[in-house]
Amino acid sequence: MTQFTRRGALAAGALAGFAPLARPALGQARYPARPVQVIVPWGAGGGTDATARIVATLLEKEMGQPFNVVNRTGGSGVVGHSAIAQGAPDGYTIGMITVEICMMHWQGLTELKRTSYTPLALLNEDPPGVQVNASSPYQDVKALADAIKASRPGQFKASGTGQGGIWHLALAGWLGAMGLRADHVRWVPSNGAAPAMQDLAAGGVDLVTCSVPEARAIIEAGRARSLAVMAPQRNPQFPNVPTLNEALGINYSVGAWRGMAAPLNTPPAIAQALTAALQKVWNSDEFKTFMNARGFGMTWGDAAGFAAHMERTDANLGAAMRAAGLARG
Amino acid sequence: MNAVLEAFQMVATTEVAIAILASAVYGMVIGALPGLTATMATALLVPVTFYLSPIAAIATIITSSAMAIFSGDIPGALMRIPGTPASAAYTDEAYAMTRKGQAEVALGAALWFSAIGGIVGTVALMIMAPALAEVALSFSTYEYFWLSFLGLMCATLVARSSPIKAIAAALLGLLVTCIGIENPGGVPRFTFGMTDLLGGIEPLPALVGVFAVSEIMRAMTSAPPPPIPHRPLGSILAGQWALTRRYNKQMWRGNIVGVLIGALPGAGADMAAWIAYANSKRFSKEPEKFGTGHPEGLVESGAANNSALAGGWVPATLFGIPGDTITAIAIGVLYMKGLNPGPTLFTEKASSMYALYIVFIIANILMIPLGIVMIRLSRHVLRAPRAAAMPLILLLCAVGAFAIGNNPFAVVLVAVFGVIGYVMERNGYPVAALVLGIVMGTMVEQTFVTSLIKSDGALLPFFERPVSAGLAALTIAALAWPVLVWMLRRLRRAEPAR
Amino acid sequence: MHLSDRVTGLFLVVLGALAFWGGSLLPAVPGQDVGPAAFPMVIGGGLVLCGALIALGIGRSFEAPEAADDAPPPGLAARIGGWAAFLPPALLIFYVLVSERLGFLPTAALMLLATARALGASWRLAAGVALLAPLAVHLAFAKLLRVPLPDGVLPAPW
Repeated sequence: MTQFTRRGALAAGALAGFAPLARPALGQARYPARPVQVIVPWGAGGGTDATARIVATLLEKEMGQPFNVVNRTGGSGVVGHSAIAQGAPDGYTIGMITVEICMMHWQGLTELKRTSYTPLALLNEDPPGVQVNASSPYQDVKALADAIKASRPGQFKASGTGQGGIWHLALAGWLGAMGLRADHVRWVPSNGAAPAMQDLAAGGVDLVTCSVPEARAIIEAGRARSLAVMAPQRNPQFPNVPTLNEALGINYSVGAWRGMAAPLNTPPAIAQALTAALQKVWNSDEFKTFMNARGFGMTWGDAAGFAAHMERTDANLGAAMRAAGLARG
Repeated sequence: MNAVLEAFQMVATTEVAIAILASAVYGMVIGALPGLTATMATALLVPVTFYLSPIAAIATIITSSAMAIFSGDIPGALMRIPGTPASAAYTDEAYAMTRKGQAEVALGAALWFSAIGGIVGTVALMIMAPALAEVALSFSTYEYFWLSFLGLMCATLVARSSPIKAIAAALLGLLVTCIGIENPGGVPRFTFGMTDLLGGIEPLPALVGVFAVSEIMRAMTSAPPPPIPHRPLGSILAGQWALTRRYNKQMWRGNIVGVLIGALPGAGADMAAWIAYANSKRFSKEPEKFGTGHPEGLVESGAANNSALAGGWVPATLFGIPGDTITAIAIGVLYMKGLNPGPTLFTEKASSMYALYIVFIIANILMIPLGIVMIRLSRHVLRAPRAAAMPLILLLCAVGAFAIGNNPFAVVLVAVFGVIGYVMERNGYPVAALVLGIVMGTMVEQTFVTSLIKSDGALLPFFERPVSAGLAALTIAALAWPVLVWMLRRLRRAEPAR
Repeated sequence: MHLSDRVTGLFLVVLGALAFWGGSLLPAVPGQDVGPAAFPMVIGGGLVLCGALIALGIGRSFEAPEAADDAPPPGLAARIGGWAAFLPPALLIFYVLVSERLGFLPTAALMLLATARALGASWRLAAGVALLAPLAVHLAFAKLLRVPLPDGVLPAPW
């Protein structure tokens, strides 16, 4: 991996240093020579869209060419993800891919998977939390876990995303780690985290396993409490919320992440130039301010780190989906 | 009082003034282009807000979205291309007025009552936000089920046709919402293996198809209508004053319905506009004029539409729950600027909150002069000969649908729904009912299924919770009412024969 | 495309039956009593019922009679009759199929020319619309709003 990175740095240096000299010989301009298209598989206005737009704005400053965000929606994310994979591998089509790329192929929705891309960089990951209503009798996650274990199957109701969505799998994985069946707690599908949190506050469900930033406003309004995060470390913005490992000795973590990727077979020199620029963007004050303000988790992974991260997620989510009976084929 | 003064100081800076003016013009223009929605106008602003002060940033979002929502009515009234599912409720009425040569009255009403609705909604936000938020938070899926069912029942009211055909059209709309994977079970339904159908049919391309393309199709086989009588323009506002006095009650009813439904996240402006239009017709003294270019419904649903937008800020600012896609973006900007949604925003950051109200009011007042300019400009579209205007509208349908998600499949949808809308209208099936089914369908199913999951299959909770019981009674009454009226009419008609 | 109520009613019956049948094939979802099959089946049933009522002519009395068109139709409709109505959706499909390869400007120009002529425009008017409108639309959508309209064989001059 060290070697890979070093070689990458050399190549990026070579590209930056020699490309202008080589231009007359090769007839090729320095990358990027024209505007770059950044495909977002989700609609305008969501968290992924906002992140992509900030990244694009900062990349534009970094690389001196416009980075145009294009929302390619449809097919529950499949359309946009395949548009990134099928783009011309010349560095002028890149995109933001999300955790769904490690889920959809297990459900048999698409052939696309993590290996259909040239990973550039992992930018963000949000681990799920365990939220309950403020008037709930369970003061800590241990009390809740004991009550769940003692309950009859289906008695507890949980929500956070649609059926088979990332937070559903987080719950299924957590239950599995406690030695329970994936459907021991009944999943109430919702249209995203915000309606689920609202239903939690309205007393409609017992717990919501969405990420802590998504639950933040309702928690701060005193209508809900976060009992734990399913992550290796505590969230610096919510230092009072323990991890599952601390509270229960369960080492289970799966999160929703976002990263940049290019079509497969993008020239390594271009990919490395982009990764280097993304690293500068990730380290910039503007990006940090934005992510902290939104409460989005800052997780960095370079090309190799992102690839390894996706491989891990893919295996974890595959296991959770099989356990929950959601995987097909 | 100090907070209010401070708020005025925060707003009265050059930066905020420029931000408001620039985003107002920007929102007006984007909204008037078919296919480019208020949501898109707002999303494109997010990177810009990054470099602005908090109040200026929020001001751009508020101003541009308010302007874009109004100017989205312009292609609706002039070309029958609705800008949003919310304006679809009165697109037909406004278009009928345009064909009667009253385009200015229709657009003027949309403008005037939008501005009033926006201001009333803001005042409601100012004085009743905590109370409204309590109502919103008490809504669980049971209550939403009844509400969406009530909305769906408007289908028989919004149409001028046989009730059976209206119900059939609404069912067809519901069937359309079955397509895709976005159902509670997460199972792909009726996708026929097509990736593009996985995400379901988006309402906007379907709306553009059934309204605009079917209109172009009709033009192909009919003679050009006689040229619209050229009337001296007169003052757009003077006419509106008369309408305000005449339909005062309707306006207030629309505003109240808008604020209440707008404060419910997920229900929002779409449902408010449809329910207000149906209400207006049900309680009207001249319901037979609806659909023929009668401003009454336009007044009520236009007011409801915009007061719902302001109402949507209640759950957004108090709990960070977005009422619609625009407030979802706004919440992101609020966080970015350290104005975290929550009750503390109203106490610790009270001056910022007051500043926000002031911006709301300024935006809604500024909407009137800018809107008048826009109406005068867009009137030229009507002077173009039909053989030149219709082809351009067709092209705009294609480009506008493509621009929604940059997906060519949306253009295919526009074509398919154009054919569906054309065949339906020629055979007396109301397309408004189809649209209502498409707008409400997902919510009806989602809330029904999740409610049953939560109640372990029991139906009792649908009637047990207090608000739920009230809505259920309202629904049943609304169901029984037309049957009762019909039977009474039958009896009365039978009497003279005796 | 005016069809009798019997035809449209029967069509709805068939569509409803297909929806019912298609819905009944959907798998159950673990943990949900009312699965994804229920909603399409209820709608299908409703459509069958409504379709049957319409085919039998019930509720006909509520309908407003359609305004009769006596004036002679323009351009294309004068030659091929009611089928002319299907030109616009056909052109939209044409746009989807060829715009990627041919480019936005030529495709749009062809679309506009065909529609304008079919509506009875003179060659001069049709050509004017076909030449100017695509440029204006491209300027607004692609240049100012960065909507990625395809270049094809004829990229825009800006």
